[in-house]
Amino acid sequence: MGPTKAMLSHSLPRALDFIKANQNPDGGWGYRPGGQSLVEPTGLCLLALKPRGDKAAMIKGLDFLKACQKDSGAVGINPQDPEGGWMAYAALLAFHDLGAAAEERRLKDWILNFEDASSRFTPADIKAIAGDYRYDASIRGWPWTLNTTGWVEPTALFIIALSRAGVPVTDKRIKSGVDLILDRKVPSGGWNFGNPYSKAYELEASTMSTALALAALGAAGVQEGRPAVSSGIRFLTLSLAGDTSTASLAWALLALNCYPTGAALAPKVSARLAGQQAADGSFRQNLFETALAFIVLSDTAILVRTPGKGR
Amino acid sequence: MTKKSMTRREVVRVLGKSALSALPAAALAGGRQQSAKGPVPGPLLQVAIVPCPDYGPETLAAAVRAGWRSSRPPDVRNKRVVIKPNMVDVSPDRPIHTDPRLIEALILHLGDLGTREIVLAEGTSHNRDSESLFRRSGYEALAKRRGIRLVDLNYDDIRPVKCVNPRATLLKELYLPETILSADVIISVPKMKTHKLAGITLSMKNMFGILPGMKYGWPKNTLHWNGIPLSICEINGTVKTHYSIVDGVVGMEGYGPVMGTPRKVGVLVMGDNALSVDATAARVMGVDPAHVDYLAMAHKIKLGSLRREDIAVAGEKIEKVRADFVLIPEYSLLRAPKG
Repeated sequence: MGPTKAMLSHSLPRALDFIKANQNPDGGWGYRPGGQSLVEPTGLCLLALKPRGDKAAMIKGLDFLKACQKDSGAVGINPQDPEGGWMAYAALLAFHDLGAAAEERRLKDWILNFEDASSRFTPADIKAIAGDYRYDASIRGWPWTLNTTGWVEPTALFIIALSRAGVPVTDKRIKSGVDLILDRKVPSGGWNFGNPYSKAYELEASTMSTALALAALGAAGVQEGRPAVSSGIRFLTLSLAGDTSTASLAWALLALNCYPTGAALAPKVSARLAGQQAADGSFRQNLFETALAFIVLSDTAILVRTPGKGR
Repeated sequence: MTKKSMTRREVVRVLGKSALSALPAAALAGGRQQSAKGPVPGPLLQVAIVPCPDYGPETLAAAVRAGWRSSRPPDVRNKRVVIKPNMVDVSPDRPIHTDPRLIEALILHLGDLGTREIVLAEGTSHNRDSESLFRRSGYEALAKRRGIRLVDLNYDDIRPVKCVNPRATLLKELYLPETILSADVIISVPKMKTHKLAGITLSMKNMFGILPGMKYGWPKNTLHWNGIPLSICEINGTVKTHYSIVDGVVGMEGYGPVMGTPRKVGVLVMGDNALSVDATAARVMGVDPAHVDYLAMAHKIKLGSLRREDIAVAGEKIEKVRADFVLIPEYSLLRAPKG
């Protein structure tokens, strides 16, 4: 059973009050109230606030994100960061949703050219990685930071943001990202940060990585019939039976809504997530988690419009 | 005691030519001591090896007290102390993370000494779900029970700090958490473990966890691209660890730091110089510290000393507690000869 109508109509909007009350004077939001403004929480808080239509707060927030964009189009973690990085996914979602077309176009170009440093690997490096970690390091995804290699979670976040911003899922960079995610699956089901093995040892999957990977595959139109997806959903379902963090629950709800089997499980997860809201309207006093929980509980299509679902 | 200073040629070999102009003066012969440096020449460095056969609260309290007394502990009265445990991951079957019962004994000990504030802080390195890891590790419950702050360093406020070695590295600046930068005293409390990429992981390697994931990712892949030994030395050369306590009650051998197997040693290794503590703990593990790249590099740039003759060991003798940890084949040459 999902969250009751009363929960959604009375409790959930208090999340927006919490977000609104904790906007920093520079227009951005930190992960915690009073914390430094950063791109990820700011992007998500703006997406959450948009339906309420609080123009002044949104303009200030958008200005903060614009100040984070470099001449190259890159967006780092904050305006002082000299480099672009993974948090750019949240800026792209916000630029797109709030109609900052010029910034969106420049950022999209930058993300599509954000190098996965595995392109510098020699054939011998690729062979060694295939032996030790059993994945194909010639497949390009997205790194967390400049001059490093691609991993499952930043690849998933960029696929979600690019497809939401209208980049076709047939784009070669998105297709390659999908291939990376499929290649890095843990054999017994699910995903971790990006190493399915370490030498002879199969490494464990994690709830958050699996949820993000499944959401990205869903955003890219990969169907539930693919073995990696079905075993990922099985892993996610099992792992949700145990103790799960707020952020993992929220990403899991997004992922489950991308697939028919998952959608059937979603109401239960939704009720569980809604039940974690505190009296002050927040989720764990964390602005990013509060915004993410609000978004996935109110409308997952804000983040993922699953191809084939007709949205 | 004779101390040989690092020559220009050695600096170039270890850190690259461009490092010469960027290294702190203290790293070179006759140089000035830099704030993050350990005690270089002078009196013997002091490390304590304390028997601690189990994680019982009385056993731990006595061991922490004894080790603290017989080393050179920092003055913690009225200070803000940050405890940095090691939590690369959590497993019910494998002792991956520093045991929370040891952290609790340390918190109680520090409380008795009149600290102003104690903070438990960690930035997990490849699993981004710190809420879950803090809960499963027992750190969240511990922090609640003892009324201390538990800080996720991956999402703390951060500030760039000039790296000790800005010209020879990818890490021109280190983005460091305010919790670390504002600490009066930093205590590193690692697990005694082997490590598939570094040979062994102790107090100095534990400091990888102070770099925030939101800037460096999960894993903190920049540090790998930069070279693990160099990154360890740059972090420890920039941020001073004031005291180290190695959890060797039960360590991990074999394919660490995550997939190894438990190894009971029954000791704590404690002291104020991270390099000397690590070198002593390495000897307890049956490893020659001079063969561990990052320890050798740290010695050369004078973050302390790894030489036996520079370290006065109080408490148990190394030979008595030595427990040769199983090393993976790639690191079999690290083994120290017996005797």
